[in-house]
Amino acid sequence: MTSSILEELREAVIEGDLEKSESAVKKAMEANIPPLEAITNGLAKGVREIGDKFSRGEVFLVELIMAGEAMKAGMFLLLPKIKATKTEIKTPGKVVIGTVKGDIHSIGKDIVATLLEANGFEVINIGEDIPTEVFLDKMKEHKPDILGLSSLLTTTMPMQKEIIDSIEKAGLRDKVKIIIGGAPTTKDWAEKIGADGWAGDAVSAVDLARQLVAEKKP
Amino acid sequence: MLQLLSRDEIQAIHAAATEVLERVGILIQHDKALQILKDAGAAVDEKKKVVKFPEDLVREALRKTPSSVLLKARDRKRSILIGDGKSYFTNAFGAHYTIDLETGERRLSTLRDLEDFTLLSDYFPTVDYIKPNIIPQDVPKNILEQTMTLSMFKSAEKHCSVISLSPDGFRDVIRMSMILAGGEDEFMKNPSIIDAGFNNVPPLKYSEEIIDMILECARYRIPFDISTGALASASGPVTLAGTIVQGIAENQAIVVLTQLVGPGTPIMWGSCATILDQRCGTAAYGSPENGLIHAAFIQLAHYYGIPYYGAAGVVDSKLPDAQAAYENAINALIATLAGADVVHDAVYGIVESGVTACYEQFAISNEICAAIKRIAKGIRVSKETLGVNIIEAVGHEKNYLTSLDALKFTKKHLLEEQWQPSITDRSSRAEWEKRGSKNIVQRAREKVEEILATHEVEPLDKDDEARMTEVIKERTRRGG
Repeated sequence: MTSSILEELREAVIEGDLEKSESAVKKAMEANIPPLEAITNGLAKGVREIGDKFSRGEVFLVELIMAGEAMKAGMFLLLPKIKATKTEIKTPGKVVIGTVKGDIHSIGKDIVATLLEANGFEVINIGEDIPTEVFLDKMKEHKPDILGLSSLLTTTMPMQKEIIDSIEKAGLRDKVKIIIGGAPTTKDWAEKIGADGWAGDAVSAVDLARQLVAEKKP
Repeated sequence: MLQLLSRDEIQAIHAAATEVLERVGILIQHDKALQILKDAGAAVDEKKKVVKFPEDLVREALRKTPSSVLLKARDRKRSILIGDGKSYFTNAFGAHYTIDLETGERRLSTLRDLEDFTLLSDYFPTVDYIKPNIIPQDVPKNILEQTMTLSMFKSAEKHCSVISLSPDGFRDVIRMSMILAGGEDEFMKNPSIIDAGFNNVPPLKYSEEIIDMILECARYRIPFDISTGALASASGPVTLAGTIVQGIAENQAIVVLTQLVGPGTPIMWGSCATILDQRCGTAAYGSPENGLIHAAFIQLAHYYGIPYYGAAGVVDSKLPDAQAAYENAINALIATLAGADVVHDAVYGIVESGVTACYEQFAISNEICAAIKRIAKGIRVSKETLGVNIIEAVGHEKNYLTSLDALKFTKKHLLEEQWQPSITDRSSRAEWEKRGSKNIVQRAREKVEEILATHEVEPLDKDDEARMTEVIKERTRRGG
């Protein structure tokens, strides 16, 4: 019984079927499957599978994103239970990600956020055109392991530096690993402004995030 | 030569774009622009900054938009009339990295690269006007656009598009262009000594800075290209027709705003839209869908009576290899055959979708584009070219290498009829081996080295150059 419900959860995510995910989660709750079990061996298992396949070029971005949505739909029903039992979901790390002030590009950043989620990271996507002080506030609020700064314009790249500088000034620089990305950014630029890493695409951004979290938690 | 859409399909696409403009609208992050559009009769939601455009407003703006634009070159003999029925080609735009010509190593682009690519653009006969091929990474950001402009003006006698990244930088660039034009009055009369280019933020959005610079163009009547940057299945619908509909709506918003502020400002209307590769999550510019999008857009631009500007010929391959050649060739060819007025990115000296400049690729693409231009010329059909008399004179006994009449005939028409390649190999194997059995990349490198060592352009007037340098120094002094 348990194994068939867990299988259904995994399937729902792989198929990107939001309704199936919700109904499978309801079945899991009725069968008293512990929420963490439902996530780890059901929903998250499906997302990991799709994430791996995407990294290998075997599934499409649309399938990856829909799998993420199906997982979120299921999680939404499970979260109250998880909170009630005061258990914690194990994730490789927490990421706050956004596009800097003056820049309203979202696509690249959203792909990185989705792939991070598919790889189990807890991702707080704070959107586009985000002022420096909001990045700081969100950092204080969520205490992420990683802060991701996206910029698609040569003119907004200096904002990445400004944010890093103000985190430094606030005395929070050692609390977080900062990664940057976006078409005009370079590895050199990342080093110059004191970021901890740069990635040129979503798949390498996930590798980078994993590596930085490992450095942070020795 | 190529007509992809039927009349009915053109009409259907136009009607759908009109519906998007009227019902969905365009988000414009610029309060002054919103006010101008509101005063003209557009429905503006000031809170959301979304503008809905009634069809008659768009029609009126299109009526005011010139059907052609004369882009003036420093060497006036090389000025070109965009919209005269020919396809004009530009080089590529904006590489941050460059594959070093000497070491073959991929490194950050420098100002020297911009000079060299501009000099090559001036030399290559396929490049009709010149885009900033490189964004140098060794120049301070606050004087980047100004420094790039001086570098390009110095390195070419053809018409140059200027870089427009930020409003402040762009205003300095306009001041420098006034010097090139021979003073402010001359520039006001002939602002088409330069042109600029802008993209939107799809879906359906424009940022404040872009609108600032577009208003500046409208103020001076500086020609510019506006091209939707939608990626089908990411920032536009997965359906190509849907992405075209969205792109038209995005472009028309700028046509309306521009013609309200500066009636008669020339606009090159177009697309750098393509598909998102759903397996890699990257923009696929070398895709066949890219060519189809251009072919359809061209018909719509001409339906609206304005010149089409399309980024066709972009290469996704990381190297100047067979993939690069096919990607460059198919889309530049389709856009040309479909009648694009400007094929931007045709002569594509970049690999990796706009990221990494490559000298060898530039010479190879020049070769590909020269072949495409030959195809575009088509076949001359006249009494003379049909050649019945010469066919009779050669008859059955002789051939075209043994008859004196035929040899004269060949000599007379050869250059009109046959394109002469520059780095393509058509020699015999023995001859090819004798010359070192080189592939096209090696031959391209040698060609580039030869051009860079020998090609010269007329220097700028010393006083003009000093005054342009002063604009840069002034910005450095002011900081920011």
